Amino acid sequence: MVVLAASIISKSGKALVSRQFVDMSRIRIEGLLAAFPKLVGTGKQHTYVETENVRYVYQPIEGLYLLLITNKQSNILEDLDTLRLLSKLVPEYSPSLDEEGVCKTAFELIFAFDEAICLGNKENVTVQQVKQYCEMESHEEKAHKLMMQSKINETRDVMKKKASELDKMKMERGKLDKGGYSAISGPRVVEKAFGDMSITGSGFGSGSGLGGLSMDMDSFASKPKGRPSAAATAPGKGLGMKLGKTQKTNQFLESLKAEGEVILEDVQPSSVQSRVSPLPPSDPVTVTIEEKLNVTVKRDGGVNNFDVQGTLALQVLNDTDGFIQLQIENQDVPGLSFKTHPNINKDLFNSQQVVGAKDPNRPFPSGQNETPLVKWRIHGMDESSLPLSVNCWPSVSGNETYVNIEYEAAEMFDLHNVVISIPLPALREAPSVRQIDGEWRYDSRNSVLEWSILLIDQSNRSGSMEFVVPPADPSTFFPISIGFSASSTFSDLKVTGIRPLKDGNPPKYSQRARLVTANYQVV
Amino acid sequence: MEKPSTLLVHFDKGSAAMAGEIKADLEGSDVAAKVDAMKRAVMLLLNGETLPTLFITVVRYVLPSEDHTIQKLLLLYLEIIDKRDAAGRGLPEMILICQNLRNNLHHPNEYIRGVTLRFLCRLSEPEVLEPLVPSILENLDHRHHFIRRHALSAISSIYRLPHGDQLVPDAPELVERALASEQDASARRNAFLMLCTCAQERAVAYLLSNADRVAEWPDLLQMAAVDLIRKVCRSPNRADKGRYIKIIIALLSSPSTAVVYECAGALVSLSSAPTAVRAAANTYCELLSSQSDNNVKLIVLDRLNELRTSHRDVMVDVVMDVLRALASPNLDVKRKVLDLVLDLLTARNVEEVVLYLKKEVVKTQAGELEKSGEYRQMLVQAIHACAVEYPEVAGSVVHLLMDFLGDTNVAAAVDVVLFVREIIETNPKLRVSMIQRLIDTFYQIRASRVCSCALWILGEYSLSLSEVENAISTIKQCLGDVPFYTVSEEGEATDSAKPAQPVVNSVTVSSRRPVVLADGTYATQSAATEAISTPSVAPGSLSSTLNLRSLILSGDFFLAAVISCTLTKLVLRLEEVQPSMVEVNKACTGALLVMTSILQLGQSSYLPHPIDNDSYDRIVLCVRLLCNTGDDVRKVWLQSCRQSFAKMLAEKQFRETEEMKAKAQISHAQPDDLIDFYHLKSRRGMSQLELEDEVQDDLKAATGGFTKDAYDANRLNRILQLTGFSDPVYAEAYVTVHHYDIVLDVTIINRTKETLQNLCLELATMGDLKLVDRPQNYTLAPESSKQIRANIKVSSTETGVIFGNIVYETSNVMERSVVVLNDIHIDIMDYISPATCADVTFRNMWAEFEWENKVAVNTVIQNEKEFLDHIIKSTNMKCLTPPSALDGECGFLAANLYAKSVFGEDALVNISIEKQFDGKLSGYIRIRSKTQGIALSLGDKITLKQKGGS
Repeated sequence: MVVLAASIISKSGKALVSRQFVDMSRIRIEGLLAAFPKLVGTGKQHTYVETENVRYVYQPIEGLYLLLITNKQSNILEDLDTLRLLSKLVPEYSPSLDEEGVCKTAFELIFAFDEAICLGNKENVTVQQVKQYCEMESHEEKAHKLMMQSKINETRDVMKKKASELDKMKMERGKLDKGGYSAISGPRVVEKAFGDMSITGSGFGSGSGLGGLSMDMDSFASKPKGRPSAAATAPGKGLGMKLGKTQKTNQFLESLKAEGEVILEDVQPSSVQSRVSPLPPSDPVTVTIEEKLNVTVKRDGGVNNFDVQGTLALQVLNDTDGFIQLQIENQDVPGLSFKTHPNINKDLFNSQQVVGAKDPNRPFPSGQNETPLVKWRIHGMDESSLPLSVNCWPSVSGNETYVNIEYEAAEMFDLHNVVISIPLPALREAPSVRQIDGEWRYDSRNSVLEWSILLIDQSNRSGSMEFVVPPADPSTFFPISIGFSASSTFSDLKVTGIRPLKDGNPPKYSQRARLVTANYQVV
Repeated sequence: MEKPSTLLVHFDKGSAAMAGEIKADLEGSDVAAKVDAMKRAVMLLLNGETLPTLFITVVRYVLPSEDHTIQKLLLLYLEIIDKRDAAGRGLPEMILICQNLRNNLHHPNEYIRGVTLRFLCRLSEPEVLEPLVPSILENLDHRHHFIRRHALSAISSIYRLPHGDQLVPDAPELVERALASEQDASARRNAFLMLCTCAQERAVAYLLSNADRVAEWPDLLQMAAVDLIRKVCRSPNRADKGRYIKIIIALLSSPSTAVVYECAGALVSLSSAPTAVRAAANTYCELLSSQSDNNVKLIVLDRLNELRTSHRDVMVDVVMDVLRALASPNLDVKRKVLDLVLDLLTARNVEEVVLYLKKEVVKTQAGELEKSGEYRQMLVQAIHACAVEYPEVAGSVVHLLMDFLGDTNVAAAVDVVLFVREIIETNPKLRVSMIQRLIDTFYQIRASRVCSCALWILGEYSLSLSEVENAISTIKQCLGDVPFYTVSEEGEATDSAKPAQPVVNSVTVSSRRPVVLADGTYATQSAATEAISTPSVAPGSLSSTLNLRSLILSGDFFLAAVISCTLTKLVLRLEEVQPSMVEVNKACTGALLVMTSILQLGQSSYLPHPIDNDSYDRIVLCVRLLCNTGDDVRKVWLQSCRQSFAKMLAEKQFRETEEMKAKAQISHAQPDDLIDFYHLKSRRGMSQLELEDEVQDDLKAATGGFTKDAYDANRLNRILQLTGFSDPVYAEAYVTVHHYDIVLDVTIINRTKETLQNLCLELATMGDLKLVDRPQNYTLAPESSKQIRANIKVSSTETGVIFGNIVYETSNVMERSVVVLNDIHIDIMDYISPATCADVTFRNMWAEFEWENKVAVNTVIQNEKEFLDHIIKSTNMKCLTPPSALDGECGFLAANLYAKSVFGEDALVNISIEKQFDGKLSGYIRIRSKTQGIALSLGDKITLKQKGGS
């Protein structure tokens, strides 16, 4: 009792529209439809034709045939019901019942067919219901939209209030001292307010969540979004909103991670990571220390978000080497907090900075997979700790926009494979680069200019580039995303030694530490 | 495995150049333009373009759109794009759509959620599905039934994917829970179906725990339940079959006819017990009478027919119920009913059946039905068949039927008269009354064919004195006063003949067309024979009693010859039974007078055509005979005729029994079949269940799942070389011809030391062939090879030609190089298969078809029979002319051949050959068909092959 396909063909045998409900190859369905007009006899008083393999149940509608193809065991009574329903639907959706009219409304017909037949099974629906389904009018959606609108308004009010408070505060502070202190502490208040909001309004992040998936995507996904984002509505005081948004993205990421979504890791098309992908380890024990940077810097200076997440992962090749403890040491950085795997002995870690299993009889898991043992987070670092800062100065002169970009790297790190991606307005040809330290590449598909510097060390702590494009709004060159890697970390966490739990020599081990960017943007 | 196609839209204006336009529209913000662009994009994709760059545009600009139509079109777009690369791995960019789908699954609009879930049913990429699973599961508890429905089917299809059970490991439990609390009929059905396919034991448990309430279930769910029961009971040795049967019985009283129909089918497959089968048969019969739709009736009759083959004994009891369906006005239904009933006749029910048929016949007389004539003919044939099988019933119907001898429907009347002829021979007891009846009703007969047959019966079976005398007087009465024509009448006659002239002329014109006679002889018809087949109504209807006279005056001399023969025969018989010679002589002179009058009429100028030579000779022979009788002649005339008729009947019977035997042979058990021992536990139900597996196969066959790969030695014979060995690109093709399509597997080898870029196999076709896919470009490394597959659709039987070339670029030559391929000829023989049809239909088609191709015979074969065999073999047709008619050496041969193409087209061939004095064969082969293609291609084929000898 399966309908293989519902089709409309012209009397001359031209297949106008056909919707298949089970898997069949194109040549098969075309063959079946082409054979049909030859099989249909004239002057018959019944409207079905059987061939060796299939049964056609049809109904002539003016110059067309409405046709169901079923298998031969199909229940004819049901099929006729379905056909009757479809024959009522066709004139509803196609006002003129000729080839042209049907072709014009082909997709509407397909949508209607879909409602009437579900995976080849008949649905008990009426014409009215199908129409309702196809119109897709939903009260819930309307209610939801209203709610969203009111929430946005509400938030805007709160924001205004906060902003005015801030102004007031700033003015008071300005009177007291002239430190850059307020730049950091100010937005934090706002951030909190937005954090609250984003938790309650769950649907709000649906559009912007895409940005969280990939940095690449984010650069253009934020552009075409028709959503009246708060940043657009209040550009002057939008700093808080911006912050909230990235915050939200991160939260989304976190929540996805918490749900155990592996997919996110795959998605990140971070060119940096792929280039420095480690060779398969040859030592019996490998410790990987990795820190990921999540940074959002404002284009006019100041840090929106500066967050470092680190992991210490262990890879043990053989079971026998699994009974070990790791002695670690790290630099004391303010704002650093550790989190250990539930199976790690916490006391031991807190008191002696030794990573060992709670149950001494259980070895660390072995194999090709890395097991994360310790995670840490550093937050609340200030602008001065940024490894790389980028300044972008677009200036319009006449028919051209000159864009000057410079970078400045901190002394702490030597940065490898630095890529600075600047979104450009859609261009027909590559921008003309006047001056550059390093190399550039233009990705016309995504209209992104990539400025890459292989290594930033003592010799080139700062550099610049200049290019010219047709006139464009300065904001189009943001957000700039930056990717790099470095071999030292913020926490400077190290494994100083491995102690075997059982007798014997400690296994040989290697450790690798690196700092990579997860999301480093200038907005 | 070929990519499944999910939708087709007719679109012929597409070109790759539109891609830019579409892109621009998609990037714009105008919703209407976006919708339109999406539609065009989908249509272009369906047309075979690949549009690889469009994806990112869609992701960027279409994905975030809020518009519902755009979202729906987007799903269609995603449905048809290639989601896997050449190696079958999922494309990485598909991940990009994941987030959008996820959002859609949380969309506040329930319909967006629903259509997205429905789209997921058609998705088979685990990479994409995996992150969506939690959202899908959330939707299971949504309060809107539209969403729940589709969520359930989405889970079902995900679970059915390979490794789907790892994606949703707890799907069966979830679905079972959902099913328990679900209220919506459709959602329940989907849930139940999911359990049926994925976790049968759970479905069974649910069904059995709800067994009492099944009757109250909504019909959709009932259908699914019946389906499950069929499936469950397929496994052998179910001890608990009874419980299922109980459910089925409960469902038989369902208000939904669809369920009832399904139940009947299930019942038969569950059990072969007579009770079950009877219940099923009764259900079908009820449907047959309650449903007014002809389609339903016909298909139900098919089901009953299936039951007949397997359970004839049960079906015999419901014969009368089936017969009731004759009340339907549809002739197809009636025909099927009659066929079915005739197969179910037994000595017990034949009386009843014939009685019913008789009533129906009477009804046709009264009713003003449109097709009553045709229906009556069917009934007459049915009664005829009954009477042949059970001669005892003949007596009760034959008299009734004889009323129809004068029927205006000639075909029905002919059937009646043939029936009478057969019965009178096989049923001697009825002879007297029948002859009496025939003599009484003779004057009503209008059609000349019926007349001649009736005359033959009179001449042959009038035995007693009174019968013979009555017969002679009846014939004379019908002829009216002789002479038919007097000189004095000439004046008026020419007057009255004038208006008749053009009519007759038109007959001659139309009769110029050659006609194939029943025995396969190919004759140019004369006007006289034409008049036989078409009842001459115009002159005949003038006088009511003088039917013979009017027929003769209309120029039917063949009938006149028959009259002469009949009179001769009757006079000869009279000589035997009449003691008084005076009377005999009187009759004899009377007959002679009639004959001479006919001859006179034939030679007069009264009729536009003089008597034809055959009839003239025959009548003259009769005259001579009557004047000069002898024992030999008497024996020939009085006995041999009857004998040869009896022999013909016997042969007919013999042939029928032969056919029956041949049919029976087929149903004999195979050597390796299991044997059922009646006394042991019957396995019959089980073998029935094995049949049930065909249900699954049925679906597969319907979707084209069965494409057998015959890697036999023949395969190599069909390889065609497309380019030369010294060409830079060598190509050869293996051609596979399926029913509606041709697959070319082309192997392309780069013979150069350079890389060939943008290598493209361009094909074009001639005839009714169509390329399905657009050619793709390939890059071919030095001395490497590539397999390219091209599908070509065929829509009618015709010799097709595929030609084409290979185009490529090399790095050092700027312009593209072209290698032209050999043509590939598609042989018509792959499409036609031998078939049979009745003589009458063959002749109807022959007259109807427009295209004729006439091929003169030119062959080295010397023997007619051998030549015929040669043609049959080389054209793959069937000879309709029975072998007995082809026996013997006479220097002539005429035969009809017939074949049908897979597209249902008919191909007719007539061969008429004659052996010349020098031993050579000469003659013509004529091919007729409805379409030009077959006539031409078959003609070419015959011209090519007929030479033979080699």
